[in-house]
Amino acid sequence: MREKKSSSILHSISAWLIMLPGLILFAFFVWEPLLESIRLSLYTAKGIHLMDFVGLKNYIAVLQHPDFLPAIRNTFLYTFWSLIIGFLIPIIMATFITETVHMKSFFRVGVYFPNIMPGLATVMMWGYLFRPGKTGVFNILLSALGIQPFDWLASPAWTIPLIVLTMTWKSAGSTALIYMAGMGSINPELYEAATIDGATPWKRFLHISLPSIFGLGKTLLILQIISVFQILYEPLVMTNGGPNNASISVMQLVFRYAFEDYNYPMAASLSVIISIILVLLTAVYFKATKGKKPEYSTN
Amino acid sequence: MKKFLSVVLCFAMILSLTIGCTTQKNAGTGSSAEPQSGTGDKKVTVKLGIWPEDTLADDIKMHEGFVTELKTTHPNVEIVPSYYKYATDTFVSLAASNKLPTVFETWYTEPQKLIEGGFVADITDVLKEKHWPDQMNDSIKKLLSKDGRIYGIPRDGYALGLMLNVNMFKAAGLVDDKGYPIYPKTWDELAVTAQKIKQKTGEAGFCLLGKDNAAGWHFSNIAWDFGATLTKENNGKFTANINTPEAIAAMQYVKDLKWKYDCLTADPTKEDWASGFVNLGTGAAAMYIGANDAVNQPTQVNKLPTKDLALVPIPAGPKGQYSLSGGTPYMFAKNATKEEISAALDYIEIMGKSPMTSTNALKGMYADARSRVSKGVPVLPVFPAWTDPTFLEANAKITKENSNIDMKLYQDYFDAVKKPGNLHFEEVGSAQDLYSELTKVIQAVVTDKNTDIPKMMAAANTNYQKILDEKVNK
Repeated sequence: MREKKSSSILHSISAWLIMLPGLILFAFFVWEPLLESIRLSLYTAKGIHLMDFVGLKNYIAVLQHPDFLPAIRNTFLYTFWSLIIGFLIPIIMATFITETVHMKSFFRVGVYFPNIMPGLATVMMWGYLFRPGKTGVFNILLSALGIQPFDWLASPAWTIPLIVLTMTWKSAGSTALIYMAGMGSINPELYEAATIDGATPWKRFLHISLPSIFGLGKTLLILQIISVFQILYEPLVMTNGGPNNASISVMQLVFRYAFEDYNYPMAASLSVIISIILVLLTAVYFKATKGKKPEYSTN
Repeated sequence: MKKFLSVVLCFAMILSLTIGCTTQKNAGTGSSAEPQSGTGDKKVTVKLGIWPEDTLADDIKMHEGFVTELKTTHPNVEIVPSYYKYATDTFVSLAASNKLPTVFETWYTEPQKLIEGGFVADITDVLKEKHWPDQMNDSIKKLLSKDGRIYGIPRDGYALGLMLNVNMFKAAGLVDDKGYPIYPKTWDELAVTAQKIKQKTGEAGFCLLGKDNAAGWHFSNIAWDFGATLTKENNGKFTANINTPEAIAAMQYVKDLKWKYDCLTADPTKEDWASGFVNLGTGAAAMYIGANDAVNQPTQVNKLPTKDLALVPIPAGPKGQYSLSGGTPYMFAKNATKEEISAALDYIEIMGKSPMTSTNALKGMYADARSRVSKGVPVLPVFPAWTDPTFLEANAKITKENSNIDMKLYQDYFDAVKKPGNLHFEEVGSAQDLYSELTKVIQAVVTDKNTDIPKMMAAANTNYQKILDEKVNK
């Protein structure tokens, strides 16, 4: 009995030791900064040195700031448009490439290619394409067709969808690869059986592919919401949040507080608010989709 | 055996991690002890953030000459070149870790923010020993001070004017019989002139900023000319005053530039301070609001020959003509000792950027002028950041000797800014927040023909008042 106990301790010691470097790194680089930023959000500061405890005053200041509502509204709009434009495109791409017989690798590399480009280079390139006036690439194409130049990013109604389009262009390929991997692991016999039963490609997609990647889609959806919610450099570089706050995001507001105003407590408060919104969104989403995983349908 | 091996490996990993942390800690303490070691044995180390960047070989040579000069009178001072370009995303971490250079240059917008954050040193006592404070332009001193203490000195003073690309005026036929540009004297004339240039050359007549706070900064100057005062002060309390007929008229004028005269660049919301100079320098815009301390931008940076650049007074509005003025400051690291600050100021004297007229200072001014000539930057009369008459006289002489411009292209500007009441300092209160609110309205009026200006200005006024109450009216 004693021997068994000491062996289990030894066993768990080695498990703890294996985890320890990871735990230390996590504690140092993730948990400590996280807790520290919550603490910072409750104080005033000179630079990064905490001064006086002020409770929720920074939160109130953030919520009352004139740019807060536009930023929050836009961030939800970014998320909305990214789901409209960006969520289905990788699934469609993955389905087509999986169904492709010839040059499959070529298409796989092709869709992933934009992802290799550095983010800033991507947004600057799109900035040139979207340039208003007669020197913008798209406007040159439009003028060749006899159409008047368009304002693109300078048009408040179009700014967010266009920025989301550039983000989708860059990242859809990598998401498509994940879906392709998911689809690749589906038992081919299911497709064969369905084909024998006379199922059309659409029905095969609907009843075999889609249910198989449902779990994957669920995870990728929430990851996409989290990542788009933190959108920063695209509007920062392409529009600087304008025109008239039409594209400012909450993370850009955090950036302004921290790196333009040196107001770290307000930046920390807004970061905490963003985290709370994201945690709530994730919880609601998982609650809503809990137990709704569809089973394979073979009929 | 396997288990034993895994335990050993884990220990090794933890050990390496701990060693990593320890090394970092040592490195940290070592560097923070550095400044003290300089003063301990009377040796003073000055880290010069105002040293030129590596690619500017001629400028570095000039500064090496300054160091040699300094060494003759200050053998105990060691100068460490430490080029630093002020950037908001790196500044706080450098300041918090005591890694800032002893002296560095920052933007005209920053002094109050840096003083408020406790990032910069109070240099009042050292300045008083050198008798410099009395010679500093009062308004510039105010920009660099808080509660009667001084935290910086001006590198240059500036006043906004209107920069012209003379070539484009020639192309549009807007020159007199001697070939000098016929420039607009009022804002209304500017709109008409800019429209003509666009019609004749196909390029923008005027570059209006709309990307960031610089847009609001320029706009405040236009608004003053229309009779507006954008912030009011009463017993230390500030009131937003954006929603006035004068400010609305100025904003209507900006809107007209886009929709009535169509004389701007394709998308003003993409234009910032630097892109304005690109447009002016490369012939994509004929006029741009710029100051005397930025004449290197169109010329040296964007390759416009000096003969094709003119700087004329800011146009007048219905209620007057003002030139927004300020100063580009040198500031000092919080942890710098009195000796280090004093040595840095002596270095600045040798550079010819102080109010002193010693032989070394004159040599420095001369070297600076020669360097401008070789880089193709207009050598302009100094702007009165320092008010000592001997200094101004000496500087004027050196400028004249090294002149590389046709002064007729600049004379009206210098005459205008000397007129009493022409120079106008930034709005009080929280200028950057004011600019931010104005920029949003500018972005709206240049992107939407149907913008309701009074409604937007009222919203901007409410927003700015909220920020004033939160930040300054405590």
